[in-house]
Amino acid sequence: MKKIYIKEEYCIACRLCEIYCQVEHSKSKKILKAFKKEKDILSRVLVEEVGYNSFAIQCRHCEDAPCVEACISGAMQKNKNTGIVTCDESKCVGCWMCIMACPYGVIKRDLSEKKIASKCDLCSDEEYPVCVKNCPNEALQFKE
Amino acid sequence: MEELKKQKKDFENNNLTNNKNNKADYLIIGNSAAGLAAASAIRSIDKKGKILVITNEEYKNYSKPLITYFIAGKVKLENIYFKNEQFYEDNNILLFNNINIKKIDFKKKLAFSDNNLNFTYKKLLFANGGTPIIPEIQVVEDNKLINKSENEDKIINSINSKAKIKKEDNSKFNFNNTLNSNNYKEISGIFTLTSLTDAINIKKYIEENKIKEAVILGGGLIGLKSAEALLEIGIKINIIELADRLLSATFDKNASLIIENQLKNNSSKIYTKNTINKIFIKNDKLIGNKLIGVELSNKEIIKSNLLIIAIGVIPDLRIIKESEKLNKKVPNYGKGIYTDKYMKTSIVDIYAAGDVVENYDLLSGNNANIAIWPLAVKQGEVAGMNMAGISMEYNGGYFMNSIEILGIPSISIGFANLNKGDKDKIEVIYDFKPEKNFYKKIVISEEKIIGVILVGNIDRAGIYNGLIKNKVNIAEIKENLVKENFGIIQLPIDYRKHLVIGDGIEV
Repeated sequence: MKKIYIKEEYCIACRLCEIYCQVEHSKSKKILKAFKKEKDILSRVLVEEVGYNSFAIQCRHCEDAPCVEACISGAMQKNKNTGIVTCDESKCVGCWMCIMACPYGVIKRDLSEKKIASKCDLCSDEEYPVCVKNCPNEALQFKE
Repeated sequence: MEELKKQKKDFENNNLTNNKNNKADYLIIGNSAAGLAAASAIRSIDKKGKILVITNEEYKNYSKPLITYFIAGKVKLENIYFKNEQFYEDNNILLFNNINIKKIDFKKKLAFSDNNLNFTYKKLLFANGGTPIIPEIQVVEDNKLINKSENEDKIINSINSKAKIKKEDNSKFNFNNTLNSNNYKEISGIFTLTSLTDAINIKKYIEENKIKEAVILGGGLIGLKSAEALLEIGIKINIIELADRLLSATFDKNASLIIENQLKNNSSKIYTKNTINKIFIKNDKLIGNKLIGVELSNKEIIKSNLLIIAIGVIPDLRIIKESEKLNKKVPNYGKGIYTDKYMKTSIVDIYAAGDVVENYDLLSGNNANIAIWPLAVKQGEVAGMNMAGISMEYNGGYFMNSIEILGIPSISIGFANLNKGDKDKIEVIYDFKPEKNFYKKIVISEEKIIGVILVGNIDRAGIYNGLIKNKVNIAEIKENLVKENFGIIQLPIDYRKHLVIGDGIEV
């Protein structure tokens, strides 16, 4: 499957990936509307930065995904065909077992409405994940 | 679907006539996390072998950890299933509900149920989980307590109650005056909470009796999960705990304090260093025996029509123990059934997985019964693969759990309640801000993390879990561990590169 690869040395911590991720996962999908009218939109990609070191990280869509094994509601599933790990928001009960299990720490608590786990869905509606598409420095790459 | 029903019917008929040709290739006792993970794994390898899953419960399958969420109204009955409706059909698995396996003849490879339905097998998996502990408590019939207390303060002083107890000595109470695991269900209002049936009964009881206040015996994980659910639906709770604090097995004093304060601030009562001495019931011709209150060991009386007994769950060894009369040898067991890393027991072709098992604790190096969902799934999968002939190892596990009380999330992993000086070489790093309901604690032994508690903010908890699991040396990053912005970027360079630059799929 195609995955997002992280090129740590190219990341300049501009955080455009986070912004485009938030817009993509907003209701309006419009940058100004989303930031003015929608509150608490979580970015599913996370830029980490200490000094001159930085990189953006999101769900790795693991082969043996620990979040799927830990999920008590069956909400977290790995699609057998696409390999994408997604959280079915209608089934998620916000028990946070996945947050406890993920060694990358890339699942967040979404408390905006009903408590649910929020994570990267690889923008499966789009040709490319928006974080990859909008990274000015190719610090994120989407390939087999 | 029709074909499966026919197969099942045929099977039952054949069994009743003891047709030995009809043999299960894989007999799985237990229909939950471990049992179904095993069934899936077997079917992924062996496309034809006959898989039978037997459960003493009435439901197709459901997620046990969701039963408290069901009571809280967060999960509907139709969403409580963790394998979809088609799972059994898709995988050609025969499910038998409402069947109690009583004993097993390990030599003849024959499992006896309590309704004449016997099963033969080539390979068998114990995935039958745990059973709740019911303490023996004196039961006292007292028709007056309820009337009296209705007009008075709900706490009656002990002198009054003592006087009443004398009176009841000649009551017609037929429980031999002691509550135990056989009779507790005969008193309405007393429940355990370990199955969906329990949860449905509790929910129904709460609605029918308009319960506003409840007593929970046990301040451990099940007790607190029960509390979490009841608080969600506006029921006031009284938690009775024998230890000096809540969650004493998995939390330390600081973490317990935050949770206790949050409960107290929301008008719940916590009685530590206490237990229930007496249970008061009312005997009514129409409704039978009904709970009306309890007396604690400090002599305080709490009037309540709902008691949830949540002092613990132990591996269900009833089948094994019953089988001892029939066999020279049964699978070796201690607190639970012992297995090796292939989830094999000491008897050939007999496997065990999930909450019924006692095996390798990755952190202590000893055997332990670690009854948590993710390990049950993993063990089930490993057992299933090995049963189907594919060698796969279980690398051991350790305790972890996540619980949220009144908006405060918390996670504890491993030996989280160890403190400096408890053992040699134990080091503790922490950040404690009780006024903000915040606590972060890292327990370190020989430069490796062996325990974590996070209260208030659980973001990125899994990173610590990865460090524990991979036994990463954290000597150089100690000061970063409890920092607010702690993340992958602060991890030791090799481990970080492995996570970030490596193709990122192995864990």
